[in-house]
Amino acid sequence: MTKPRRKLVEVRNLKMYFPIHAGVLRRHVGDVKAVDDVSFDIFEGETLGIVGESGCGKSTCGRAVLRLYDITDGSIKIDGVEIGSKSQSALRKLRPTMQMVFQDPQASLNPRMTVAGIIGEPMDEHTDWSKARKLERIYELMDAVGLNRNFVNRYPHSFSGGQRQRIGIARALALNPKFIICDEPIAALDVSIQAQVVNLLEELQDRLGLTYMFISHDLSMVRHIADRVAVMYLGKFIELAPRDALYAEPLHPYTQALLSAVPDPDPASEERVERIILKGDVPSPANPPQGCNFCNRCPKVMDICREIDPEFRELESGHFVACHLYNDAGQTGASRHEHTQQGEDA
Amino acid sequence: MLSYTLRRLAFAVPTVLIISLIVFLMLDMAPGDPTGSLPLTIPLEVREQIRQSLGLGEPVFVRYFKWLQMTVITEPLHILAGLTGWDIAPGGPRILSWQTRSPVGDILVQRVPQTLWVVGLGYLFGILIALPIGVISAYRQYSWFDQVGTFVSMVGFSVPTFFTGIVFILLFSVTLGWFPSMYDTTHVVRDWNSFLFQAKQIAMPVAVLALYNASQISRFMRASMLDNLNQDYVRTARSKGMGEQTVVLVHVLRNSMIPVVTVIAIGIPTVFTGAIITEQIFRVNGLGDALIRAIYVSDWPMVQTITFIFAILIVLFNLIADVLYGILDPRIRYD
Amino acid sequence: MTTRTVLLGTAAALVLAPASAMAERERGSSGHLNIIYWQAVSTMNPYLSGGTKEMNAASVVLEPLARFDNLGELTPWLVDEIPTLENGGVAEDLKSITWKLTEGLLWSDGTPVTSADVVFSYEYCTHPEGGCSYRDRYAGIEQVEAVDDLTVTVHFEDVTPNPYLPFVGAGSVIIQRAQFQDCLGARAPECTDANFAPIGTGPYVVSNFRPNDVIEFVANENYRVPTQPYFETVTWAGGGDAMGAARAVFQTGEMDYAWNLQLAPEVIEQMEAGGRGELLVDFGPLMERIELNFTDPSPDLPDGERGTREHPHPILSDIRVREALSRAIDRELLTEIGFGPMGMATCNFIVAPPAMASPNNDNCLVQDIDRANELLDEAGWERGADGIRVKDGQRLELLFQTSTNAVRQDFQALIQADWREIGVDTRLRNIDAGVFFGSDPGSNDTYLKFFADAQMYASLFEGTDPTPHLEQRRCGREPQPSTQWQGQNINRYCNPEYDELWAELNREADPDRRQELVIALNDMFVQDYAHLPLVARGRVSAASTTVGGIVMNVWDSEHWNQAEWYRIEE
Repeated sequence: MTKPRRKLVEVRNLKMYFPIHAGVLRRHVGDVKAVDDVSFDIFEGETLGIVGESGCGKSTCGRAVLRLYDITDGSIKIDGVEIGSKSQSALRKLRPTMQMVFQDPQASLNPRMTVAGIIGEPMDEHTDWSKARKLERIYELMDAVGLNRNFVNRYPHSFSGGQRQRIGIARALALNPKFIICDEPIAALDVSIQAQVVNLLEELQDRLGLTYMFISHDLSMVRHIADRVAVMYLGKFIELAPRDALYAEPLHPYTQALLSAVPDPDPASEERVERIILKGDVPSPANPPQGCNFCNRCPKVMDICREIDPEFRELESGHFVACHLYNDAGQTGASRHEHTQQGEDA
Repeated sequence: MLSYTLRRLAFAVPTVLIISLIVFLMLDMAPGDPTGSLPLTIPLEVREQIRQSLGLGEPVFVRYFKWLQMTVITEPLHILAGLTGWDIAPGGPRILSWQTRSPVGDILVQRVPQTLWVVGLGYLFGILIALPIGVISAYRQYSWFDQVGTFVSMVGFSVPTFFTGIVFILLFSVTLGWFPSMYDTTHVVRDWNSFLFQAKQIAMPVAVLALYNASQISRFMRASMLDNLNQDYVRTARSKGMGEQTVVLVHVLRNSMIPVVTVIAIGIPTVFTGAIITEQIFRVNGLGDALIRAIYVSDWPMVQTITFIFAILIVLFNLIADVLYGILDPRIRYD
Repeated sequence: MTTRTVLLGTAAALVLAPASAMAERERGSSGHLNIIYWQAVSTMNPYLSGGTKEMNAASVVLEPLARFDNLGELTPWLVDEIPTLENGGVAEDLKSITWKLTEGLLWSDGTPVTSADVVFSYEYCTHPEGGCSYRDRYAGIEQVEAVDDLTVTVHFEDVTPNPYLPFVGAGSVIIQRAQFQDCLGARAPECTDANFAPIGTGPYVVSNFRPNDVIEFVANENYRVPTQPYFETVTWAGGGDAMGAARAVFQTGEMDYAWNLQLAPEVIEQMEAGGRGELLVDFGPLMERIELNFTDPSPDLPDGERGTREHPHPILSDIRVREALSRAIDRELLTEIGFGPMGMATCNFIVAPPAMASPNNDNCLVQDIDRANELLDEAGWERGADGIRVKDGQRLELLFQTSTNAVRQDFQALIQADWREIGVDTRLRNIDAGVFFGSDPGSNDTYLKFFADAQMYASLFEGTDPTPHLEQRRCGREPQPSTQWQGQNINRYCNPEYDELWAELNREADPDRRQELVIALNDMFVQDYAHLPLVARGRVSAASTTVGGIVMNVWDSEHWNQAEWYRIEE
């Protein structure tokens, strides 16, 4: 990370609330705060891993960043273009640059379209290529993701899970995107296939210079692929740090608990790390606890946690955390987080 | 697919035969007497002679096989001969309706066009109305359009056709005088005016049936659309930057149509069976009307034949629905 | 109220058919007529149907030698005069009758009508394999002889005081020999074309026939009255329901004539207010009655004995009980509720023709609960704790059955309440009409087997002569195992005096004496309370106010004078 890097994605105060309607008249009685005031950047060519339990809002966050939802509030800049407030029709033109690989390769492919149709459809929409040119590109993409060209006219159901995910990736790559959000792309796959797909993603990143936002609940896989890792809890980022820093020295009690649950391949170390068992359930995002979202489950909870929501601040260079435990230390580092984020920023 | 279809067809034959036997035996054992509806002034000795002349003297299985042979071979050939003018009509006895003492096949040929026109159009218009309503209702779920659509289809579905039919007649025929309350089956469309008259006389029964069918199908359409609208591939399509129209009409609609098309296909036999009441109210002399009147007067040959045809239609359209499913949904493969 | 409507039909006919207006009309001048029969016509050959609707439709094409007019009088139709004893047409020994066809009569195809056609009609209907519905009209005939081209003599096997059954009335019409000669016996149903479009002598010719749907008629060019029929074409639509048919005449005016409007009285009244049509009601021999079983229908009896005269009814054999049941019924109320202007309460078995209706039984018209109670007390039936009478440990409990029909179920409920008042417990049962009126000897639910204590239905007789109808109540004519449960002595009545009196009637040729005998038989039967008459039911049709010349006729086809119907010009 020595060369100067450009911010490809800048997200500021992103909020995605889903209204709750109830009663006979379906009055608006509250919101599910799936993503609540999240800010982060992604640099060109890097992979930002997002981890968290299911339901924490990481998938929503990904979709919101691509504006698959109409966001509640906040700003999203991709490649310098503000898309947070753009209309869906205006966004369509920009779609080719930002793509998504979805979790369930079965459900995310239209069952009534052939591989050619699925991969080629964005070209129909966004290019004026000839048929032959399109087919050429489809073949190219199939080669790139390791699919046999002969399968071009088959329907998704006749492929295996891993192959379907390759179709999904090929489709995402169709129009040379710069930024791809991988939303749990391997969660629905067999373990043996997972590595293949992840390797493919890495290989494509190297070859095409892609930027990934990699959403996963699999901490080991994120450790493998991500350059930086963000931890989400109940709609908020609670910790964001370079991969090694986060895995070596997790600051937030929640991150510590998460990491303690990761099985270590080295049996000797098993005794070294004591598993932190979290008590209680994740609160409903419609009704988060007062103060820190994590206060009702935190093993190190303090009084202040139940009153004031801790700020998401940069504790060390590039290491952000939202926890009152570090607020004393945070005082000293206060000067540091005058910078928006990582110090290398040019 | 072809071998599947052929296999299914082969299986359909014994199914239909068993149905025919059951239909025949049930009606044969049913209480009720073809002379029961005759005036009491006709003496019992004469009734007995009438029964003998109807062929009721023979053992039941002899009558069954005669009837089956005539239903499956003689009558279809006569009907075909009548339609094409080919000289293929076999000699020998035909199935005679007890009320009219004339071949059942000839009566069916007269009845089918009315049923197809009135009830078929009712179904067709029902579908044409239902699909857009279902699509919009689902796309704008909980909007006022959806709420109104839900209400109207609930009403259309729960209010029986004999009620809506009477209401239509009282309103549009009696009070307003716009449409005739009785269907004239002898009317021939020759020119614009006679076409206009045909349109007028067919309007009310078709409207009643269309309303009923539309409310049913639009519910299916809406539910199926809702199922698909939340699917991941729809999000995929959006993320590809496809236009909203493409997303809804190409991706969602085409997938949602799969179950709806099969429901529509399975519903086609009810085009023939389901409109008995409506046919009676508007005096449309179709198949359903022929059936219900035959039941009233215990005209078993007619009832048996029509019921049997309905059974064949139901078996056939179930098969068609399955095959259609296979064609429309690439995930389904029959081998 | 009832007399008003009765008179309406005949009065209207007289008023609307002034002779001067007739002269201006000619064949076809009235254009098109629309008739609706909500029960559609199945065939145009009445011999193969037996239904009233088929008989009516056929009556505008096929005609008898003579028919009954609206007053029940015999009227020459295809003959110049009615043969009688006086004019020598009927033989002195009452064993033959000779008809002379009108000269110059043509079939609608232009060929002459001859005596051979008349003889053929007889042969057609009496063929043993034909299943002819009017076979009984030709019963007791030894031979029908064509004397010459226009003369036919019917020879009877026995003395036949009423020789006016064969070839008389809409049921026994003359069919063309040339058209039907290959359609005898078992081949009758195969002649579909002939059965659907018979060649006739009547005012109309079938131009299009769709079974159970619609018939189109055009005027018969060869009709014997050159100026008739006035309507050029007739559409005889079928199908729908009685309500729709009434609406089409009364409210929308789409139809000119609707047949058999059996609707609730209040519905009819409301419809009539539409003003486009008028109700035509006339009373014939149709009468709604309760039959009381003289035999024991108990299911405990062995098969073959149940419901036979071997076992008299344990309760109803006592005339006092039967009379009490009759007196407890409020007939006027039943009439009002069930039929309104279309019914008349009655206490007679023979309710029409008017001359034959007995004037001696009107005492039953008024409900008399006290008298009914007295009768039961006399008979030894004591009130039990629950109000139901008991005698020798047996409760006065009756099973009362009828066919499934809204009016009949109303009647059942009302009568149940009436009988309850006099301490009779009534259990009700209703049976699908197709089963109830069927004659399947295997079914225990037919009105013939009568496995109940009381049952209600309506019956009537053909023509104006009640002799055969009275004959049905003779001893031995009851349904029983030996006759496969066929027979019309439904209540198993058996009275030697009655049988003797009937035999006298059957020998008598003098009309006045016959009338007396009919009334005497009627009185004997109803005063024995063998059977409880309830309501005489009228025939109800409706006609548009724009059609004139209609004369309602309960003794023959309603369309007997169809040729004279015309459109009233505005």
